[in-house]
Amino acid sequence: FYITGINYILTYVTLDHKTSHKGVSAPDKPRLTSCRSPEKETFTCWWEPGDDGGLPTTYALYYRLENSETVYECPDYRTAGENSCFFNKNDTSLWVNYNITVVATNALGKNISDPVEVDVAYIVQPNTPENVTAVVVDDDQGPFVRVSWEKPRTADTRSGWITLLYQLRVKQEKEKEWEEYDAGMQKYYNVFSLHPDKEFMVQVRCKPDHGFWSEWTQPTYVKMPDYIPREHSLWIMITIFSVFIVLILTWTLNVKRNSVKLCLLPPVPGPKIKGFDKQLLKSGKSEEVFSSLVIQGFPPTIDYDDLLVEYLEVYDNEEQELVLDGKDLSEVCMKSKSPSDCDSGRGSCDSRTLLLEKCMEGREGSGSDQHQYSQHGETSCASTKSSECQGLEPGSPESSDGRVKTWPVVFSSPQPHHHYQVEAVKPVYHSVPEILNHSSPHAMPTNYHQLHHQDIPQQEGSFSKPACRHSQSYNQFNLDGLDTPAPGVSPSRSLEYVEVQRVNPENMLLLRPLSDPNREPEGSDYAGEDYSKVKEVTSNNILLLQRDTYHQCVDDYSQDLDSQAGQCTTQQPPHPCKPVIYQSNSGMPQEGMRVMGNGYVDSTVLMPSY
Amino acid sequence: MGLSVPAVAVLLVALLCLDPHGRVGSAPICAHGPSGCHVPSLADLFDRVIQHSARMHSLSNDLHSEFEQYFLPSKNHIGKIYRKCHTSNILTPNGKENAQKLAREELTEVILKLLMAWRDPLFQLHQSMAHQQDFNSFSSNKALEMGDMAHELRKGVEKVAEKMRVLGMLGNSVTGLSAAEAMLPLSDSGEAMSDYELLYCFRRDSNKVQNYLKILKCRIVPEHDC
Repeated sequence: FYITGINYILTYVTLDHKTSHKGVSAPDKPRLTSCRSPEKETFTCWWEPGDDGGLPTTYALYYRLENSETVYECPDYRTAGENSCFFNKNDTSLWVNYNITVVATNALGKNISDPVEVDVAYIVQPNTPENVTAVVVDDDQGPFVRVSWEKPRTADTRSGWITLLYQLRVKQEKEKEWEEYDAGMQKYYNVFSLHPDKEFMVQVRCKPDHGFWSEWTQPTYVKMPDYIPREHSLWIMITIFSVFIVLILTWTLNVKRNSVKLCLLPPVPGPKIKGFDKQLLKSGKSEEVFSSLVIQGFPPTIDYDDLLVEYLEVYDNEEQELVLDGKDLSEVCMKSKSPSDCDSGRGSCDSRTLLLEKCMEGREGSGSDQHQYSQHGETSCASTKSSECQGLEPGSPESSDGRVKTWPVVFSSPQPHHHYQVEAVKPVYHSVPEILNHSSPHAMPTNYHQLHHQDIPQQEGSFSKPACRHSQSYNQFNLDGLDTPAPGVSPSRSLEYVEVQRVNPENMLLLRPLSDPNREPEGSDYAGEDYSKVKEVTSNNILLLQRDTYHQCVDDYSQDLDSQAGQCTTQQPPHPCKPVIYQSNSGMPQEGMRVMGNGYVDSTVLMPSY
Repeated sequence: MGLSVPAVAVLLVALLCLDPHGRVGSAPICAHGPSGCHVPSLADLFDRVIQHSARMHSLSNDLHSEFEQYFLPSKNHIGKIYRKCHTSNILTPNGKENAQKLAREELTEVILKLLMAWRDPLFQLHQSMAHQQDFNSFSSNKALEMGDMAHELRKGVEKVAEKMRVLGMLGNSVTGLSAAEAMLPLSDSGEAMSDYELLYCFRRDSNKVQNYLKILKCRIVPEHDC
């Protein structure tokens, strides 16, 4: 008895100190790990045994149905393996809560696990799909892999009891990430865009519509054949696109080739002459080429004969007087005295001799021949083709001795008023074309016209001192009806430049030769300007000369010039700074009025101001 | 003439649009058979109904887990004491064989009974959830939607039954549901069930309905998906 008691004591001691040394004890509480149903018809629960306490422990599973107190024990501990309980179809009820507990029992005690509520309908986890096959299918698009499988054997989808959804995943052997695809309820799937000549692994799993995913199947291997990738289409598209781009670029370049050429090869500036046709130059016909340069009728092809006629020689002859022709025609007979100066380089002697001639007869005021003249007081010289107003024959200054040709002063047309400055600003020299001969009246007008119509830049100028000066009138005079002897006649005469001293109230220009010692220097800045530019030719055949420094406006027209369409008179209202029409060519012999390109006017042919 | 051009244009357009409508009479629906309108086949009807029930069940699942997550965290399948669902007296097959043993008519009837039984409780549930501030509007909307779906589903199943009857698949044993079938969600003890319990019960019942419908479909029209 005493020994039994000691045994008991020892046992209890060991039990109490089970942790410290391997002793026996009651089992630990087991734990139900999971319960699963593969097909919604049976289910299995697994538990995890705790420490068995060193003693052989038995485990029992008990369950209770919902709202029932009847406790049942697990019908099958074997089928599902160790520590499991398998509920077969008969024992499985759906939509009913199972209250399951596991009891661990050993010699020293038992332990009950925590209860677990299970509704079989929600613990469905199917088996893995079966018979996974992956086949390479050749297509004209390119090969692809067709994966097919079967449902897990246990799942009854035919009756609709369970609905399975499938999923597969693919990767190469060495890849890390799987490529997952959802196949829905179908049992096959086509996998595209797999790399050629590589081996792939495929796995499939399934899940009921409410439940857990099954395990992945064992990997199925498939090898993609070596084929030219379908990026054919991609390359084709790229090629087409680039060809298209190239075409567009080419077309653009073609269209813009001129500007491209311009950009790359800037052109060498060629001659730019207005009216000059380079093409004609290339073709080599010089006549045509230069024809454009030639202004028709310009320089006014005045026969030198005419020129000669035009020149009015002024003789330094005190006997001569400035006679104003008081005729209706606005004529100003001017007298200038000067020896002729034949220093011109031009054909004729462009001396600015102003021949004053008294043109007595035959002056017609109408100037019917040249209508332009009508406004002016055409001198009879102009209108008549008579040789009345013949100037001195060239080469015979003496011829005009005693004769003063009166120059019909051609006043400017109403429009451009000439205003001359009263004060002497700068003596301007007017070259008076020599009156060589009578020019054919017809020639004159044409020349005249031509001159007139040409866009001759007008020049402004100012006379010094004249009250009303119209230098152009001289031209007119010259041109009108004055025969010009053979060109080149005049040069023999020595011509001298005259300076208009003043214009007397009777619109007579008082000239005096430049070399006149008596002349007073008029204006310091006289030497400034040699040439005056023709600024423009107005519509009324007024040659406007340009005077760079200033314009002065003189409105002092003589009253005598009524007959002239009042160039002077009507233009009474002073137009300040109207361009003065006159010309001055000093020092430059000219043989006819020519308007040079640089704006200078050849005032030998003193155009009428119209 | 104070009307501007756009106004006149609008009026004209309106007249043109309105006029034809007025003249259109009502045509008989599907009077001319297949050429008229599309008459859904039984399989289509079943599909629709099954989809509907699937959606309904997923809604109930969501609500239930929400409830469980936020309001009853402590209860983790442990110690839950459920009162009986009010639909527990409806005899429902709880296994595949049992379900397959049932005739079509019975199965259909079970479905209809279940759906009918939940008409009012779902409305109650929505009301209760809407009033409680604990639920956000999203949840209470779900409950409302769920109730509507149950209603629609019932109608749909009735149509299916009608179609089946027309096609001679169903016998005449399917009885119409009377108002007496509608039950009040009273537990045994007579107390009203809580929201959670209602959700729990409905989730289960919607799963049943979905399952039964699938069985019915695969039994009657087993073409695809079966």
